[in-house]
Amino acid sequence: MSDHLDGPRQAADPSVDLTDLFAFTSPENPRRTVLAADVFPSCGSTAIFSNVVSHSIVLRRARVVGLGESTKFETTEPEIRFSVRFDVLEPAADPNPPQRGTCTLPDGQEFRIVVNDEKGASTPDGTFRVFAGLRSDPFYLAWMEAPLKKGPNLLLHDNVLCIVIEFDTQRVLKPDQGSLFAVIAETLPLKATSPFGSQPMRIDWIGRPEHTNMKLGYSGLPPGAEDLRDLWNQQTPFAISEQLRPVFLQRLKESLRIYDIRDGKEDWTESALAANANMFLDDFLLFDVAKPITDTSHLEIEKSTLNGQVYQTGGGRTVDANVVDIMVTWLANRDREFLLGGATGATKPGTKTFPYFAAPNTEIQTVTERVDLAAAPDQVWGLIGQFGGRWHPLIANLKLTGTGVGQLRTIETIDGKEIVERLDSTDNAARSYRYTNIVGIPASNYVGMLEVKPNGSGSSVEWRAQYLANNSPNLIVRAIVSTLFKTGLDSLKARFGGGK
Amino acid sequence: MMQEWGLDIDWLRATDGRIASINLESARRRSWSRFFQEPQRIELAAAVLENERLTAQFIGDVDSLDRVDFLARYLDKVGASSTGALLIRAQVASMLHRFADAKRYVAQATLDGAPEKEVRCLELTIDQACGVNLELLLHQRREMARESGRLDDLVPLGGLLGDLHHFAEADRVYRQAFQAYRDVSPFPVAWVCFQLGVLWGELVPEPQETRAEHWYRRAIEYLPSYAKARIHLAEIYFSSGRLEDAGTLLVPVAPSGDPEVHWRLADVMASSGKVAEAEAHRQAARDAFESLLKRHLLAFADHAAEFYAESGGNCRRALDLARINLANRPTLRAFEQTHAIALSAGDADAASELLKDAAKRWGSAVVFRSSRLAQGQILEGAVA
Repeated sequence: MSDHLDGPRQAADPSVDLTDLFAFTSPENPRRTVLAADVFPSCGSTAIFSNVVSHSIVLRRARVVGLGESTKFETTEPEIRFSVRFDVLEPAADPNPPQRGTCTLPDGQEFRIVVNDEKGASTPDGTFRVFAGLRSDPFYLAWMEAPLKKGPNLLLHDNVLCIVIEFDTQRVLKPDQGSLFAVIAETLPLKATSPFGSQPMRIDWIGRPEHTNMKLGYSGLPPGAEDLRDLWNQQTPFAISEQLRPVFLQRLKESLRIYDIRDGKEDWTESALAANANMFLDDFLLFDVAKPITDTSHLEIEKSTLNGQVYQTGGGRTVDANVVDIMVTWLANRDREFLLGGATGATKPGTKTFPYFAAPNTEIQTVTERVDLAAAPDQVWGLIGQFGGRWHPLIANLKLTGTGVGQLRTIETIDGKEIVERLDSTDNAARSYRYTNIVGIPASNYVGMLEVKPNGSGSSVEWRAQYLANNSPNLIVRAIVSTLFKTGLDSLKARFGGGK
Repeated sequence: MMQEWGLDIDWLRATDGRIASINLESARRRSWSRFFQEPQRIELAAAVLENERLTAQFIGDVDSLDRVDFLARYLDKVGASSTGALLIRAQVASMLHRFADAKRYVAQATLDGAPEKEVRCLELTIDQACGVNLELLLHQRREMARESGRLDDLVPLGGLLGDLHHFAEADRVYRQAFQAYRDVSPFPVAWVCFQLGVLWGELVPEPQETRAEHWYRRAIEYLPSYAKARIHLAEIYFSSGRLEDAGTLLVPVAPSGDPEVHWRLADVMASSGKVAEAEAHRQAARDAFESLLKRHLLAFADHAAEFYAESGGNCRRALDLARINLANRPTLRAFEQTHAIALSAGDADAASELLKDAAKRWGSAVVFRSSRLAQGQILEGAVA
C-alpha cells in the first residue's frame, strides 16, 4: 500500500507511519497550492497524533538535468519546511479532549491548530491555512498478488490522520525562480540525546507513492532476501547514502524487472529499465506549479523526461489520482495500455473545498445472533430458506417484487414500520442467503446474512448483519437489529425445540 | 540522585501513554471491522490478534481473551485453513495457556510449510512458558538476541535469564533492550520497565523493593493504563504500609476487569479497617476469577490459586487450581507455588509428593539448587 505499514518499525507505533503525500493546486483557488501528508493506516474513529514526532513536509526547488536514459532531477537547497507537532492531551474530565498542535512555517513563524477543526487555522494575512485530523483514506489499491489480478479496494472504509497545508503559491514558492519542485514528507522523533551516543532515527519518510512496499519490498522478492524498507526509511531524503545507493538500485532493478513481465510481455529494454530504476531511486514527488496538476498528471513529469520529451503537466498528486494504476501501467507496459485495477476510486472521493479530503468513514458495525435447534438443518432451512418466507413473528405483511437474485421483499412489521430488502445471493446447498437493506433500518451499507448449519444431531441458525450507523447512534441501530434477529430466532426455538 | 542500580532513560521519548492507549483502542476496533469485512484475509486476523494482545498485556482488559478466543473459533467457522490461520490459532491457544493445543497447531503449520522463523518463535514462546528444555532455549534465545539486537528478542531473553536465576545478566539484557530501542511506541519501553520491576521485586531471593518500585513507577509513567504495573506497585505500597497510595493507584484501573485489582483493593480496605468495602472487593475478585476460570481455566489457574491461597481464603480451591496449572506447565515456579499452597493448606503429604516430583523434573538443573524447593528438600531431609 502507498506507504502504509512500510516496515517493521512503522508497525511499532502506527500513528507515526506515513501513508501518503499529495501536492496539487487548490480546487477552490488556482492561485494556491496544497500539500498534504497522511499517517496512521487503518486507524479507528478516535485516533490522534503522536506527541513525540515532528510531522514535516519539505520542498526543494528542482530542475531537469538529464533526458531519456540519462534522466536526472537535481534538487537544490534551501529547503522549504513545514512542520507540525502535536501536544499531549490536556487533563480533562472529557474522555476525548481536543488535541492541539503547533505548525511551524518555513520562515520560523508558528501558529496553533486544533485537531479535527475542519475550518483549519490560518495565518493573519491568510497566506497559510492548515488542517489536521481524521479523514477517509483517499488511497486505494485493488490488485491482488502477482501475476496482476484485479481485486477489491484493500483499504475500503479506512481512515487516516491527515495534515493539509495550503498556501499562496506566488508568495511562498516564488515560481519565477523556477516552478518545478520536489517534495517529501517525514516523521522525525523530536530531539533527545541518548547517553549511548545514538541519535533517534528517522521513523518514516515518503516521496512518490508505493516506493517502499511495492518497489523495494515487492511481492515476488526471492526467499531470504533482506527487507530493505527500514533501512530505506532511515535514509536522509534528498541525500541517500552513497554507500547504500547501489544496494537500493539493485533492488529497484530486480523489482522493476518483475513488474515488466507481470503481464507476460517485456516492454522495457535493459538500459531503459536501469534508467527508470535510477530515476525512482531519487524518491521525491515532483510537481510544477506553472502547469496543470490533474487527477491523471501523476508521474507525467518523470515519464515524459524518461521518454526524452519535455513534460506537459504539473505532475504532482491530487486526492483522487489513481496513483497505483498509473504506476503499475508504467512499470508493467510503459504506458502501452492502461491497466485498471479492481476499483475505480477510494471509499470516498476528495472534496472541492478545504480541507479537500473527505470526512472520515463510520466504523462498520456487526450484529450476530445465533440459536441452536433440535431439528435437522434441512427441516429448518425448509421454513426459513425462502427470502419471501413469513415465519418471523414481527412480520404483519410481506410483499415480493421480482424473483431470484435482485428480488425485493417489502415487510410491514406489526408496529407499522416498512422495511425493504433486496436478495443479493442465495445458496441452497450451503443453506444461506445474503441480502441488503434498502430502507427501514436507520443505517447504510446494511448487509444481512442468514445461515443454517448442522450442529450435532440438530442445527444452528446464525443471523448476521454489518452496517454503517451513519446518522443514528449505533446503540439504537444495534438494539433494533438485535431485537429483530433475537425475536425471529427465539420463535424458531419455540417451533423446533432448543438444541443441546 | 540516581541510585547506582537506576538507569537514566529520560532520553527514551515515547508517544504519551494516554495517546498511545487511545490509538491502540482505535486500531483495535478498526481491525475487527476490517476482519469482519474479509475474514479470509489472514493478515487482517493477525492485526486483530496483535491489537488484542497489546490490549490484554498493557491495558489489562481481560475481555481481550474472550475476543481472541472468538477470533480463533471464527477462523474455524469460515474454514480458514492456511498456515497463517494455523499460526494464529496457535498464538491464541498460547495466549490462553492451552499449550497442548498450541503445540498441535504449530506442528500442523510446520507440516503445511509455515515459515521456519515464525514457527521457531512460537515454539520458543511455548517452551519457555512450559519450562521445557530451558538450557537449550537459553542458547537459542541468546543467538536470536545477538543476531537481531532488537528489544523484541532481548526482553524474552531477559525473562528466561530471570527464570533461570541469572539475575545480574537479566538486568544487563534489559538495559541493553533500552539502548537498542529506536522507536516511539511507549509499550515496549513500559514492558522492559515492568520486567525489571518483576526481576528485582519478585524473582531475586531477597527482593529489593525500592529498586522494583522505581521500575514499576517508570512503567506507569510511560503507560498510565498499565494495569499489571499498577497492581505490582500497589503490592509494594501495601507491604510498606502506604495504603492510601496503593488505593489511589488501583482505582483508575478497576474498570479493566482484572480481578487482581479488586483483590488488592480488598487488601487495602481491610488494612484500613473498611471491612464492608473490603468484603465487596473480595467478592468482586472472587466472582471475576470464577467467571474467568469458567471461560479460560488454564489462563487464570495460577493467579486464582494465589488469590484463594491469600485473600480468597480457600486453600483447598487454591491447591486444586495450582495443580491444574502445574499439570499444564510444570515450570519450577509452578512447582514452588503448588508446594507452598499445599503447605498452607496443611497437606504435608501433598507437599512432600510435590517436592519429590519437582526434584525428579528439576533436580539436575542448576536453577533448582537456588530455588525455595531445594531449601524445602533440605529441611524435609533434616526432618526425616
